[in-house]
Amino acid sequence: MVAAWKDQFRVFRIRDRLDSAMVSDSIPNASIALASSNPKDFAKKKRANRSAKLKQCKLDARREQWLSQVKNKGGCKEEVIGGSGKDGGPIRSENERGMPMEKLEIKPRVEEEIHLSSDSEFSPSNSPTSHSINFTASSRSNSSSGRSSSSSISNGCYSGIMSDEDEGDVGDDDCLDDWEAMADALAAIEDNHQKQENSQLGVTNQESGGTAVPRSPIHCQAWRPDDEFRPQSLPNLSKQYSFKLNSERGGSVWGRRNVGPVPTSCPICFEDLDGTDSSFLPCFCGFRLCLFCHKRILEEDARCPGCRKEYECDSVEGETILDGGSLTVRLARSCSMVTRS
Amino acid sequence: MLAGGGGGGGGRGGGSGGGRSWPSTTSVSASGKRIQKEMSELSMDPPPDCSAGPKGDNLYHWVATLFGPPGTPYEGGIFFLDITFPSDYPFKPPKVVFKTRIYHCNVDSAGNVSLDILKDGWSPALTISKVLVALRSIFTSPDAYKPLVPGIAHLYLADRAKHDELAGEWTLRFAR
Repeated sequence: MVAAWKDQFRVFRIRDRLDSAMVSDSIPNASIALASSNPKDFAKKKRANRSAKLKQCKLDARREQWLSQVKNKGGCKEEVIGGSGKDGGPIRSENERGMPMEKLEIKPRVEEEIHLSSDSEFSPSNSPTSHSINFTASSRSNSSSGRSSSSSISNGCYSGIMSDEDEGDVGDDDCLDDWEAMADALAAIEDNHQKQENSQLGVTNQESGGTAVPRSPIHCQAWRPDDEFRPQSLPNLSKQYSFKLNSERGGSVWGRRNVGPVPTSCPICFEDLDGTDSSFLPCFCGFRLCLFCHKRILEEDARCPGCRKEYECDSVEGETILDGGSLTVRLARSCSMVTRS
Repeated sequence: MLAGGGGGGGGRGGGSGGGRSWPSTTSVSASGKRIQKEMSELSMDPPPDCSAGPKGDNLYHWVATLFGPPGTPYEGGIFFLDITFPSDYPFKPPKVVFKTRIYHCNVDSAGNVSLDILKDGWSPALTISKVLVALRSIFTSPDAYKPLVPGIAHLYLADRAKHDELAGEWTLRFAR
C-alpha cells in the first residue's frame, strides 16, 4: 500500500513538472472565471452555493467509498482510471470560457451526455466541469498527457464549477441536472454500486488537489475491455453502446421491443401525447396510450386495449428525454424531475 | 391533459340533463373529446352500409342506422339503433339497443344485443365504427352458439331455410 502511494507520488511529481506550463496558463483563466462570476446577481450565487454544498456531500461520499475500495483492491487501478477521469477537465472548460463565445461551452457537455447515456447505469455525476467533460477530453486525445493532472492544482476545488453555473441560462439547466445527478449518485452509493469508479476517481483526484494529497495518474487511457488488469467492477460498456445505438436509431429506448411509429395523440382519449407519453410503452404489443388513460385502465380491468392482455406491473423501465437534440437515457425515477424541452 | 375544450358538445348535453344522469362538463371532457373525434371520423369515413351520429345536441346519445346486407334475410331492411355512451367511455363500452324489431338469435325482443365486444370483450381501443362493423357481421353470420333468443338459434341451426324465411318476413314488416 505504502509503496503504491510512493509510486504515485513520484509519478505525480513528474507530471507536475511536465504540466507546469499548463498550470501557468490556466491560473489566469481560472481567476477570470471567478471574477466573471462576481458581479452576477445573488440568487444565482445562492443556488451555486447550495449546489456546491451538495457537491461537497457527494464528493465526501464518493471519497469514502473510493477509499474503502482502494483499501480492498490496492492502488493499481486508480492510476489508470484516475488518469482518464482526472485529466484536463477543468482546464478544458476554463479554456473555453476564456474564448469569446461562452455558449459554445455547452457543446462538449451535450456530447458528454450522449456518452453518459451509453453508460446509463452509472448516471451519477454530471457535475458539469468536474466529471462530464473529462471523458470528452480523454476520449478525444487519448494520450494528452500534457493536459492532464494540473487541473487540481490550477484551480481550487469549486472555482470551475461555480463559475460554470453562473453562465446565464445554461446554469439553470445545470442546476437541475445536478439535482438529478445528486439523486442518482446517492442512490447508487446506497446500493453500493461500484460501477462509477471512473467518475468517482476523477472527482476525488480533483479534490485531492485542494487537500494537497498527491495522487496521480500514470497514463490517460481508460481500461480496454480486454485488459487483464481491468477491475471487474467497472461497467461493461459494450452492451451499453449497443443500447445507445438502438436508442439513437429507433428514436426509442426500448431497443429490445419492436414498436411501430409513435402516434401523435392517445388513441383512447385523443389528447396529444407529450414527450413522456410518447416514450411510454406499457405493453409488449406496442400499443401506446397516454399516462392518464393507462392509469385509468390499471384501476379497472388492467388489460392492454391493444391486445387485451393484462398489463405487467413492472413494465415501466426507463424513459427517453430529448434535450437539446441529444438523447439521454435516465432511470424512470428521475424523469419527473426533468423539465427540459 | 384533461383540461376542457374538447367536450363542448358533451358539456351542453350534461348541462341540460336535468333529471337524467349525464355527468358534468369537467368530468366528461375526456370522453367528450373522444366521442367528438369518433363522430368526425365516422362522417369522414363511414363503414359500409352504416351511419351514426348524435341524436340531438347530446353527444352521449347517438342513433345509428344499419342497412341489411345483401344476400341475407335482412336485405332491404333499415335497422335503427340507439347508442348510449357511458360517462367513462371509452373505458366502459357503449350501450347499443336495436330500436327496429329484428328476427335474430342475438337480439332479444327488447332490442338488446349480445355481442362480446359490447361486454367483456370491450377494449378502450375500439370505436363506434368498429362496433357498427361487428353489428353488421352478426347480420351475415348469427352466433347461434351464444344466443340471446334460444328459440331462434335453435331454428337457425335446425332449419336454416325456415329461419331465413321468418327473418325476411320480419324485415319486411318492421324494417321498411
